[in-house]
Amino acid sequence: MTDLVLEHVHKNFGGVIAAKDVSMRVPAGRITGLIGPNGAGKTTLINLITGMLSLSSGKVLFGDRDISAEPADKVARAGMGRTFQNIRLQKEASVLANVMVGFHRHETCSLIAAILGLPSSRREDALLRQRAMALLGRFGMAGHADSPAGSLAYGHQRKVEMMRALATDPELILLDEPVAGMNDVEALQLGRIFRELADEGKAILLIEHNMRFVQELCDHVYVLDGGRLIAEGKPREVVADPAVITAYLGEE
Amino acid sequence: MFLQQLVNGLVIGGVYALFALGFTLIFGIHKIMNLAHGGIFMTGAFIGLYSVQAGLPLWLAFILAMVGAGLVSVIIEVTAFRRLRQSGEVEFSALISSIGANLVLVSIAQILSKTQVLRFPFDTFPVVIFKLWGLRVSALQLAMAVLAILLVAGLSWYLYRTGFGRQVRAVAQNERAALLAGIRPSVIYFQTFMLSGMLAGAAGVLVGLAFNSIHFMMGDPFLLRGFVVVILGGLGSVAGALVASLGFGVLQTLSVAYLSSRLSDIIIFGLLFAVLLLRPNGLFGQDEAGVLRGRR
Amino acid sequence: MDMLLSFRPLFDLFLIHLGFAYSQYIVLRAGAFSIGNVGLSAIGAYTAAILTVNYGLPLPVTLLAGTFAGLAFGALLAIPLARLRGVYQAIASLAFVQIVLSANLYAENITGGAMGFSGIPKLVGTGTLLVCALATIYVMLAISRSRLGRAFDAVREDEGMAVSLGINAARTQAVAYMISGLLAGLFGSLEALHSYAVEPNQFGFHLIIVVLSYVVLGGRRSIWGPLVGVALLIALPEISRPLADARIMIYGLILMAVMNFMPRGIVDTLVARRRSRAATPEVRQAEVKG
Repeated sequence: MTDLVLEHVHKNFGGVIAAKDVSMRVPAGRITGLIGPNGAGKTTLINLITGMLSLSSGKVLFGDRDISAEPADKVARAGMGRTFQNIRLQKEASVLANVMVGFHRHETCSLIAAILGLPSSRREDALLRQRAMALLGRFGMAGHADSPAGSLAYGHQRKVEMMRALATDPELILLDEPVAGMNDVEALQLGRIFRELADEGKAILLIEHNMRFVQELCDHVYVLDGGRLIAEGKPREVVADPAVITAYLGEE
Repeated sequence: MFLQQLVNGLVIGGVYALFALGFTLIFGIHKIMNLAHGGIFMTGAFIGLYSVQAGLPLWLAFILAMVGAGLVSVIIEVTAFRRLRQSGEVEFSALISSIGANLVLVSIAQILSKTQVLRFPFDTFPVVIFKLWGLRVSALQLAMAVLAILLVAGLSWYLYRTGFGRQVRAVAQNERAALLAGIRPSVIYFQTFMLSGMLAGAAGVLVGLAFNSIHFMMGDPFLLRGFVVVILGGLGSVAGALVASLGFGVLQTLSVAYLSSRLSDIIIFGLLFAVLLLRPNGLFGQDEAGVLRGRR
Repeated sequence: MDMLLSFRPLFDLFLIHLGFAYSQYIVLRAGAFSIGNVGLSAIGAYTAAILTVNYGLPLPVTLLAGTFAGLAFGALLAIPLARLRGVYQAIASLAFVQIVLSANLYAENITGGAMGFSGIPKLVGTGTLLVCALATIYVMLAISRSRLGRAFDAVREDEGMAVSLGINAARTQAVAYMISGLLAGLFGSLEALHSYAVEPNQFGFHLIIVVLSYVVLGGRRSIWGPLVGVALLIALPEISRPLADARIMIYGLILMAVMNFMPRGIVDTLVARRRSRAATPEVRQAEVKG
């Protein structure tokens, strides 16, 4: 059960302030929303949390561990999974192969075993294949296991990203617009899975533009505009907040 | 003796500058490493030689060599690089394609020259030596220095004082913005590759005259040393290439004179390696984010 | 039978260059743009040659020494190169090859300098080469199917994505460098103990281009890419013998054509085409079902 806590996170890109004094908490077992107009800095914040960008000042705490200065691969191995706004899959690799990469941090066979093709490597491979197929089954994608990921429909590609993130067995999942481009049916399916994951004890941070989706799923919502938090609270309250409305109107 | 070598080094550095500037121009603007640059340099030398052999005066041969090399450079842009812009991974593809183009140029030169080493006719350039302040400076060295200065000045004028040049610099800074502002890419490509080729061609003729040998493989060692210069100065930086060329010319000449040519090579390439390790963006190069991996 | 035997030298060449090609392939597959494996082959070759001729050590020992030398320098090379991106890695690795070449020429007393190192007994025949080549292919297959292969592909295709999955990109590429060094050292040693003599310039710019071409032509992802690349380019001089002088030009034209029209290489392009054609009906069906 690991909470994610941001304390006064600040990011300065040589003059451009991408994040300004952001403090928030993403508790385990809950779905927390992060919304805001385009260009508000939501993806930047995710990159700061995951270690892809370094902080100018402030802290990021994951459970009782200070991950503020840790590089992205270490943060990921600490139990953080994420999906990308602009779908980053290996387009020519099969769906199965894409998902299997997600198991990386749990692979135990030695490098020598992998290089020489020793039985321990093959056994682990078969095991991971099974687990990957199980994931595909959960998402209704078993029939696509061998299709090249780039050939799938948009909504299916998002599912593959989800499965890959889940394969890492994370404590915290950062979802960057996971249902963008999906129809209501697909979005509903995914929403149900998110709820299940939260019930399993994972912490979930959800960035989305789809307001109905956010309202139905999120227990708590933060609103970001121009790198600053301008509001937070229950979804219904936040949506009615005049500051939030102004921020979104300004978008047009 | 030391001053003599210093002067020699500066002169050869000037020629390196011509070579390096053409190379760094293409990289700075198009982000392409054009490994055919050595071949274009060699082509300039060949055109210069054949023109003189055909009876043309040296000054005309020089101009022909520059224009010819420039045109070859443009042809290479069209055949080797143009189609690649659409695909991803341009860096790798462009590099390999330019290697292919270079092989084609080298092969043509090999066939034409029948694998022989060629020389300019004996009286092509007057062998006159001036004694200035106790130093021996040949007329050829003077000519090389003057031409190098003129060409570099010409390039600077073009880049910083003309409308065309401003467009080229805009593309170097931010290609997408420049295109949105209405700058036509084909014009830019033509100009930059033409310029780059002309500079390389000029360097080729000068080197052919200075070392009195022209052969189809002469581009390779220059290209390798060109790398050192360009990295030292910072890929994409005109001022950097200039300073680094002169420094490099001096370094090479001194190390060959006082140590040995073998050791000189080790020093030179060791320097390249060290620079890439310690200060990869060179003297005046672009920001480190383009060179180093890791987060910002 | 005689005709087959006459092809033996060519086959030997094919096997040795296959090793060189895989040495180049493995770093490119991991997304590291290094062309320094030729320098590592030189180190392996001279190590094996010097130990055999000057110290009379037996074959297995010299091969091991050459292989290990390649591995060690490959690992060392990874340290500085891992920090650099793309073309800068390529240039640094090129500088490495030049340094090895120049040091070789300079250390005449040990290496024979520009005259090369000759008088090497031919201890390696087709049999040894074949065994080594097959072992290499086996290892490549094993890697492909394992966690290492998946990590290589992820880092190559999208490093940011790979890192988000907990993959240490620098360490993954360092492993690729080491395997590349091992192969380069091994096949460099085999070359030395097969060809009576080695000389510094055979491990220079020219060989870099040749080895790079094998992988570029065949493909950087599929393990059969290098095999196809070497087979085609080794056969080419034989086929184009009448065009002797234009050989280099054809070579150059092939490189340009491949990059323009089949940038992923022959095998990778064919594999991708077959996969998408096979998947499409399935995808269409699934989408209809919803």
